[in-house]
Amino acid sequence: MSNSGESVSRNLLRAALWRSFVVAVWLVGSLMALPVAAPAQQAASPGTPPVDGLVADQAAIIDGLAAQVDLDDKAIIDDADNDIRLVEIRLNLEDVLDKVLVSGVAFRPRVSEINNRLEQLGPAPAAGQPPEPERVQQERQALTAEKAEINVLLGKAEDLSVRINGLLTKISTLRRDLFTNLLTKRYELSDTIGNQVTKDVIDEGRTLRQRIGSSLWYVYTFQFKALTTAIFIALLVAAAAHLVGKRLFGALITRDPAIEHPSYVSRLSVAFWSALLPAVAQLLFLVVVWTLFESYSLLNIDVRVFLIGFMAVLALGAVIYRLSHAVLSPDMPNWRLIDVERRPARVLIWLMTALALIVGFDWLAGVISDRLGSPLSVTIVKGLFAAILSGLVIMTIAQVRPFADSKGEPQRWPGWFRAILYIVGVGSIFAAIAGYVSLAQFISAQIVVTGAILTTAYIGLLASRAISEEGGFAKTGVGRWLRSSSSMDDAQLDQLGVLSSVVINILLVIAFMPFVLFQWGFQPGDIAAWMRRAAGGFQIGSFSFSPFAIVTGVIVFVLGYIITRWFQSWLDGTVMARGKVDPGVRNSIRTVVGYAGYALAGLIAISSAGLDLSNLALIAGGLSLGIGFGLQNIVSNFVSGLILLAERPLKVGDWVEAGAVSGTVKKISVRATEIETFQRQTVILPNSILINGAVGNWTHRNRLGRIEVPVGVTYKSDPRKVHEVLLDIVRNHPMILKNPEPTVLFTGFTDIALTFEIRGFLADVYNGAAVRNDLRFNLVDALAREGIELAYTLKPAEKEEASDAIEPAGDTEEGKTEKLASTTQPAPPSAGQKSPPKRARKN
Amino acid sequence: MQQRAVQQNRADMVKSVVIALTLLATGGQALAASAVNLDNEPRVIIVTEGGTKQEIAVGAGETIEFCSGGCFVTMPNGDREALTGGETLEISGGVGKIK
Repeated sequence: MSNSGESVSRNLLRAALWRSFVVAVWLVGSLMALPVAAPAQQAASPGTPPVDGLVADQAAIIDGLAAQVDLDDKAIIDDADNDIRLVEIRLNLEDVLDKVLVSGVAFRPRVSEINNRLEQLGPAPAAGQPPEPERVQQERQALTAEKAEINVLLGKAEDLSVRINGLLTKISTLRRDLFTNLLTKRYELSDTIGNQVTKDVIDEGRTLRQRIGSSLWYVYTFQFKALTTAIFIALLVAAAAHLVGKRLFGALITRDPAIEHPSYVSRLSVAFWSALLPAVAQLLFLVVVWTLFESYSLLNIDVRVFLIGFMAVLALGAVIYRLSHAVLSPDMPNWRLIDVERRPARVLIWLMTALALIVGFDWLAGVISDRLGSPLSVTIVKGLFAAILSGLVIMTIAQVRPFADSKGEPQRWPGWFRAILYIVGVGSIFAAIAGYVSLAQFISAQIVVTGAILTTAYIGLLASRAISEEGGFAKTGVGRWLRSSSSMDDAQLDQLGVLSSVVINILLVIAFMPFVLFQWGFQPGDIAAWMRRAAGGFQIGSFSFSPFAIVTGVIVFVLGYIITRWFQSWLDGTVMARGKVDPGVRNSIRTVVGYAGYALAGLIAISSAGLDLSNLALIAGGLSLGIGFGLQNIVSNFVSGLILLAERPLKVGDWVEAGAVSGTVKKISVRATEIETFQRQTVILPNSILINGAVGNWTHRNRLGRIEVPVGVTYKSDPRKVHEVLLDIVRNHPMILKNPEPTVLFTGFTDIALTFEIRGFLADVYNGAAVRNDLRFNLVDALAREGIELAYTLKPAEKEEASDAIEPAGDTEEGKTEKLASTTQPAPPSAGQKSPPKRARKN
Repeated sequence: MQQRAVQQNRADMVKSVVIALTLLATGGQALAASAVNLDNEPRVIIVTEGGTKQEIAVGAGETIEFCSGGCFVTMPNGDREALTGGETLEISGGVGKIK
C-alpha cells in the first residue's frame, strides 16, 4: 500500500465527512470561486481600448486564460485525491471556457468590418490589368494581415477550448474513481495495529494540546479583544435569529400541554419547525464565527478548523437530539408523532444523539489527524473504534422495545426494521474489522446525516399530506386566520390546502435534495454548476427549456392574476358601487375586465418565460383549421359570450324566456349562461342560443309588466255589472299601477260563458303571480257578493244530476247557462283556480 | 364525495400542467445556431464544440442547425468565428457572414 494511496483515501474520507458542515458555506464558496479569473483579464484590458488595440488586448486575454488553464491542469494533478478541490477546479475551468468564447466573439465586429472593407476594395488586379493605386494596395494588405492575425488568435482560443473540455472530462473520471475508491478501500489492520499505534496516538494528543495551547495563548495575549468581539457578534447574530424565529414561529414550535388532542397537522408542524429553527440559528452562528475568524485571521488556521469542527459536531448532536425529541416527545404523549412509550422514547433519543456524536467526533478526529499530519494508522484505529461503537449503538437501537401492546407489554420493532438495523450494525462492525474502515464510517455517517435529513423531510411531507386532506388546512394557523379575516368557505380553504401542499412538496424537494445529494458524494460545486445550467436552460432537440425562466413566467402570471383580481374588486366594489351602476352592468364590466386582465397576464408571463410569441402564432395558425372545425361550437359560444357582455341583451338578475326555459339569469360566463328557473333548477344555456335565437326578457329596460286574469261568467249575468265589478277590483289593488291604467275587456262569448279579461300593469313584474292570486280571490268574493255566477263545465255525472233537476225540453241555451264554467289562464299559481267553481256550485 | 372533489382538483391540476407544458414545448425558442448555404455547391465548415472538432457539410441552399452551447467555426475560406449559439451564419461565395 503506497503512502500516496493512503493519503488519497484519508483525504476522501475527510471530504465525505466534511460535507455535513460545508452545506452552509457552499453558496458563499461558489460565489467566491467565480471572480477568480478576473484579475488577469482586468490587467490585460485597460479601460477603453482603441479599436486598433483589439487584437493585442484579446491576445493578452487569451494568453492569460491559457496561463490559468495551465495552472488548473497542474492543480488537477496535484489535487487528484481531493474531491472538493477537483470540483473547484472544474467550476473555474467552466468559467474560463465561457471567457474564451466571449473573447472569441469580441472579434466579430472587427472581422465583419474588415470583410466589408475588403469587399469594397475588390480583388487584387490580375496580371495584365492596370495596377491599382498604392494606397489601396497597402490597405488591402494591412486588412488581410490583421485578419490573418485574428484567425491565428481564434485558432488559439479554439485549441484552448478543446483543451479545457479535455480537462473537464478528466476531472469527471477522476472524481468517479475517487468515490469508488472510498467505498472499496481496504486497510491491512494487522500491519497498523501494534505498539507503534499507541505511541502515535499519544504523540498526536500531545501535538494537539501544544498546537491549541500555544494558539490560545497567542490570542489571549495579543488578540483577546478581537476574539471576544467576534464571539460576541456571532452570539448576537444567532440570538437575533433565534429571537426573530421564535417571535415569528413561536406558536409553531411550542407544545401546549393544555391542548388535550392536538391535531395531526399541528403536531407535525411543531415537530418540523422545532427541529428546523434552532438548527438554522446554530448554523448561522457557526457561519458567522467562521467568517469573522477567517477575516480577522484569529487563531491558527488549524485551531480555527478544530474549534469550528467541534462546535459543528455539538450542533449536529443537538439537531439529532431535537429531531428525535420532536418525533417521540416522551413527556407529552399527546404530541407524539410515533406512539413510542415514554421510557423507550428517552432511550432512543439518547441512542440517536450518541450515534450522531460518535459519527461527528470520528469526523473531527479525522480532520485533526489530517491537519496534524499524523500517521495513517492513527486515523485507521480511530475509524475502527468509531465504526465498532456506532455498530453497537445501532444494534442497541434494534434491541429497544418501543411499543406497548394492548396489555401494556413492551413490543419490539417490526421485524423488517429490526433486520435492517442488525444488518447495518453488524455489517458496519464486520466491514471495519475486515479493513473496510472507510466504508464503515461512510455507512454510519449516512445513517446519521441522511437519516436526519430524510426524517425532517418526511415530517414535512406528512404535514403537507395532512394539510391537503379534507378540512386539514382549516385547522392550521394560516387556515384559521384566513377564515376569520376573509370570507373563504370550507371548499375554498380545501382547495388552498391542496395548492399549499403541492407548494410545500416542491419546496421540500428543492430544499432537501441538495443535502441528500451532498451526502452521497456530490459537491457544492456540482450543485452550483447544475443551478447555473438550469438557469441557462437545457435543450431538447431545437427547443430550449429554462426552468428559471419558466418559474419567472409562472410568478409573473400569478402576480398578474392577483393584480387583476384586486383591480376587479376595486372597480366593482368602490368605483361602480359608488357610482350606483346597475348590478348587471357591473357584472359585465367585471367579467370583461377579468378576462382582459388574465389574457394580458398570460401573454406577459409567456414572454417573460422567454417564449417566442411568434412561434405560438405559427402554431395557432396551423391549428386554426382544426379549431375552425373541431372547436366551432366553443368558439361560437365564446364570441357569443363576448357579445352578450358587450351588447347586454340580458344581464345578471334578468327574467328571461329562451325557448322552453324561463328563469333568472345567474351568471354569464364566456361559454354558457346559467339560468335558474323558478323551480330552482339551474339550466346551462350555451351563449350562442341566446344570441342566435329569440330571447324574451321581462326585465330588459325596466321591470314594468302587464298581467292578465281571464274570467268567465254565466250568460245569466249582466255584462256591464260584471265589467264594473271587475274594474273596481283591479283599480283597488294597491300593486296595480294607476298609469298605465288597468282595464277590463269583454273578450267574447264561448258556449257556456261570457269571457272577460282583467289587465293591469305592475311596477315589478316579479310580483305577477302574487297579484294575480290576489285578484282571483277578490273577484270570487266580489262576484259572490253581487250574485254573479262563474261559468264552469259540468262533469258527465253532474250533467245527469242537472238534467233530472231541470226541464230538459229543448231549452239547451238555458240549460247551458245553468252549467257554469270557468276558463282560466294556465299560468301558475293554479291552486286557486279550482276552488271558485266549487264554491259557486255549493252556493 | 369530498374525495372526489380532491381528485377532480388533481385532475384539473394535471390538465393545467399538461397545457402549460404543451405551450412551453410549442413556444420554446431555438437556441442553436443555424447555417445557410447560399452557394450553388456544397460547403464544408469545421465546428469545434465541447472538445471535438467536426466537419459539417452544408448542401447547396441547405440550412442546418448546430452548436447549442457556444462553439468555434472555421469557414470554407479559412476565416474563423466564435459563436455563442443563436446566430445565423450565411455562407456565400465561401465566405461566412453572421447575421
